[in-house]
Amino acid sequence: MTSSAPKSESLRVLYWRSEILQVVYWLHGEGLGDVVDIDLIRTYLGLDGRVDGRVDAHENLSAYLDVLVADGALVRDGDWYALSERALVDGEAQRATAFTDQVHPVVSECDDQCWCQTSAAEAEACARSRARTGTGKATS
Amino acid sequence: MSMSNATDSNGTLPRHYLKPCLLLLLAEGPSHGYELLEHVRRMGIKGAEPGGLYRYLRAMEKEEMVSSWWEPSQAGPARRTYVLTEQGRKGLNESVQSLRDVREILVTLLDRFDSLSTKASASRP
Repeated sequence: MTSSAPKSESLRVLYWRSEILQVVYWLHGEGLGDVVDIDLIRTYLGLDGRVDGRVDAHENLSAYLDVLVADGALVRDGDWYALSERALVDGEAQRATAFTDQVHPVVSECDDQCWCQTSAAEAEACARSRARTGTGKATS
Repeated sequence: MSMSNATDSNGTLPRHYLKPCLLLLLAEGPSHGYELLEHVRRMGIKGAEPGGLYRYLRAMEKEEMVSSWWEPSQAGPARRTYVLTEQGRKGLNESVQSLRDVREILVTLLDRFDSLSTKASASRP
């Protein structure tokens, strides 16, 4: 799943916020649990045991969770995270997870999963990535 | 995407059997995560677990085989509703054709085995 994650940090924060909340809301909506830990999130996002391009997201996952706690979407109790009272209000799921629902990578010259046409910051990050690899292909 | 955790416990089902199962279930009508999980377990994927199902649905959504949205509920939290797309219907047809091809191969093998068993029985004194 992260192979199609944006490369610029600003979009990545939005992307992971949406992906994480999507999992938490999904579990809550299906009656499969109201609290999650970082390992469960990793499993649902397909980050467990990966050592390829996903490793960056793997390492930053706890930081992304901290952001969600700081902005009041999640509450933390030790290793466990739950949706806050505010996040449980009607319609919150749709707004909180709208980023990956409504913004998708577009077909471009890089590869068919590239985000580089979604914003100027993403285009710059993509160009830097291509210059680094020297292949003309983005390493998403 | 590894779906080894979604195959049956003795590993006899095709590795990607979950895909035609999900596409078929969604061809029968819109559904939700837990409902799909219960149905695929009844279809033989005893080891299917929610994490694998979630990842598979997300992947199929990115392939535009499935689309989904949050459906608010008066009685409880919003749930994700999944529906099959036209692309998904094509994928289902292709998957079913592959399974038919596999069935032909298996029938050939089983017929030869049965034939051999019959000959062996007939030649016994």
